[in-house]
Amino acid sequence: MKSVLASQRLSTSWLAAAVRVSAARFVAARLVAARFVAARSVSARFIAATTAVVPTVAALVLAASAIAFATPATAAGANKIPRLNGKPDFSGIWQTTSTADFDLEPHSTRKDAPPGAGIVAGGVIPYLPAALEQKKKNFGARSTQDPRLKCWTLGTPRGIYYPEPFQVFQRGEDLTVVFEFGHSVRTIHTNGTEHPTEKNEFWLGDSRGHWEGDTLVVDVTDFEDETWLDRAGDFHSTDMHVVERWKFLDPNTIDYQATIEDPKVFSRPWNIEVFLYRHREKNFQLIENYCFTLDYDKYYPVPAP
Amino acid sequence: MTRNISRWTALVLALTIRQALWAEAAQPSAPEAQAPAAAAAQPSQPAAQSPAATANPGIRWEKSFAPISEGKWTGHRLADGQPDVQGDWSNTIGNHDNFTDPQGGTPGDPVRRKRALGARDERAPSRVSDPADGQVPFQPWARAKQEEFAAGLWNATRQEYIEPLARCAPAGVPKSFMWHGYEIRQFPGYVLFLFNSGTRIIHLDGKPHLPDNIKLWNGDSRGHWEGNTLVVDVSNNNSKARFARTGEFASENLRVEERFTFDASGKRFNYVATLTDPTVYTRPFTVTIPMRRFTAGDSQDGWHYEVPLSNHKGSQLVADHYERPCVENNGPFGQVVGSAQ
Repeated sequence: MKSVLASQRLSTSWLAAAVRVSAARFVAARLVAARFVAARSVSARFIAATTAVVPTVAALVLAASAIAFATPATAAGANKIPRLNGKPDFSGIWQTTSTADFDLEPHSTRKDAPPGAGIVAGGVIPYLPAALEQKKKNFGARSTQDPRLKCWTLGTPRGIYYPEPFQVFQRGEDLTVVFEFGHSVRTIHTNGTEHPTEKNEFWLGDSRGHWEGDTLVVDVTDFEDETWLDRAGDFHSTDMHVVERWKFLDPNTIDYQATIEDPKVFSRPWNIEVFLYRHREKNFQLIENYCFTLDYDKYYPVPAP
Repeated sequence: MTRNISRWTALVLALTIRQALWAEAAQPSAPEAQAPAAAAAQPSQPAAQSPAATANPGIRWEKSFAPISEGKWTGHRLADGQPDVQGDWSNTIGNHDNFTDPQGGTPGDPVRRKRALGARDERAPSRVSDPADGQVPFQPWARAKQEEFAAGLWNATRQEYIEPLARCAPAGVPKSFMWHGYEIRQFPGYVLFLFNSGTRIIHLDGKPHLPDNIKLWNGDSRGHWEGNTLVVDVSNNNSKARFARTGEFASENLRVEERFTFDASGKRFNYVATLTDPTVYTRPFTVTIPMRRFTAGDSQDGWHYEVPLSNHKGSQLVADHYERPCVENNGPFGQVVGSAQ
C-alpha cells in the first residue's frame, strides 16, 4: 500500500504539471483526499487499530503514526489553550512545516521544490479553462515571475503558509499579524467593523474577523491581483474572497483552514488546510526581512574611512 | 480609490516632490485645513503644478514645544501594567526635509521659494537638542560625506545620492518619527510602531539582542518602562537610512537610547534619543522630536493623520487601519530619473 501511495504521488504531481483534467488525475486526487481525511481522524483510527488487531503493514504504519499524533493530542487535554478575554489567544510566533508554498497541489520532487502531498482538499484547484492556461504559463515562468522573488508582499493566504515565521499580536479589537518576509503587517479586525464601503485593492486584503466558539473566522476581501498563491504559479484576481478558520489543535498548534473563491478564476470555492506550529526556541524572535531592499542596499551606508 | 500600490507609491513620490512647496505654503498658525489623501495620490498629475496642492498646508508645523518631565505615570494602564499609549501619533515640527532646521526646507531645492525664510528663530529649533549649537557633532570626514550627499541630492549622479526612503526602504531610526503619522499598538511584552515605511517591534522581555553581525534597517530594540517613559536600546543598526534629505547619517556601530516620555494628558509625548557612534561622531548627541496624538474624527490631512473611519453599524467613530506597503518605488526624490545611474 505504501508503494502504491508513493507512485500515486508521483503520477499526481507529474500530471499537475502536464495534464490537469484527466480521469487518472481525478482518481489520484481522490486517493490523496482519502489519505488526508484519514490523517485527520487519527484518534478514531488509533482506537480501531488497538482494539481490532489487523495484521497488515498498512495498519501498523497507521497505528505508528496514530501514536505519534495521539500523544500531543492527549497532552492538549491537560494543557488548556491560551485565552484572552475568554477567546483563544493566538499570540505567538508561528510557522508551517509543510511544502505548501512550493505548490498547493500534490507534487513530486522538482529541482526547485521538495515533494509534497499538497494542502488542497481533493488535490486539485478547480480552475476555469482560461485561468488554467494562465496558471500553466505562470508555472513555466515561475523561476522569474513569482512575485516573492521581488519580495513583494505575499498576500493572503500565502503569507500564512510561506516558510518563514510570522508573529501574531492579539488584542480584543484586533489581531496584528507581522510577517518576517517583507516585515509586512496585516490587521485582522475583531471589533465588529465591516469591510470598507468602497472597493480597495490591498496586498493582504481587508480582514474582518469574528468568533464562532473557539474558532476565529476571518472574511477577507479587497485584494489586488499581483500576488500568487504559491511558487507554482497558482493565482487569483481582484475578485478573490477568502474565508479563514483559525483554531487551536493544541496550545502549540493551529489548525488553519481557508476557503478560496474567485468567480473569474475558479469554477467553485475550494479549501486548504495547514497546521501552524509555535516557535518555542529560547529567545526566538522575528528578524525583519526587508528583502525588497536587497537590489539597492549595497549603495548604503556611507563607508567609514 | 486608486489601487493601493499606486496609492502609496504616488504618495511617497508626490509628497516628496512637493515637500518644498509645502515648506513655503505652510503657515505655522494655519487652520486645520483638510487634505484628502487621494489628492496626493494622482500619479499622472505632477503635484508641483497643482494649485490645490500648494494651497494645502498638509503638514502642520509648530514653532515650539514644551519639554515633558520624566516621572510617574498617572494615566490609564493596560492589563499587563504598561502605560496605555496606544493610538495614532505624529510629529509636530515637520518632515525629513532638513534635520537641523526642520522648517527651513532642503538646501539647494530647485523649487523656488515663494517667500523668504526669515530669521532662524521664527522656525522650530534643531532636532539636535544637544550639543547646544544644534548641529550633529560629525567627525570631519563624516561632515564632508554629509555635505556631499546634500549637494548630490538634487542631481543624483550616483546611486548613493538617492535617499533610500525614496526606494521604499524603511526610514529607520530616527527618521521614521519624521515621516508621516504612525500607530502604536501594545501587547504584553511588546510595543509595536507601525510606520508609514517600516515597522518596529520593541521587546520588553529583556531577551538579549540579536548577534552583532545581523544588521537591520530598524535595528533591534529592547525596551522597558520607567514611569511615564518608555526606554529603548537600539542595536544592530544597518544605518543605511539617512536621517533627512540633508544627509545626516551614522555607521553600523550606531547605538541609540530612545526615551519616549508621555505627558499626563495622553495627548503628547517627546521623543528624546541619544545617538552614540564613535566611528562617525566626536561625541554622543541628542535628538528631540515632539509628538501629538490624533484620534478618530480628527481631520484627515494626508500626512500626520491618514486614518479612515471604520465601516460599522454603530454611531461611534472608530479609526480603521489599512495596510501600508511600498514595494516598487525605485525613483529618486522628485528628480529627473534619467539623471540617476
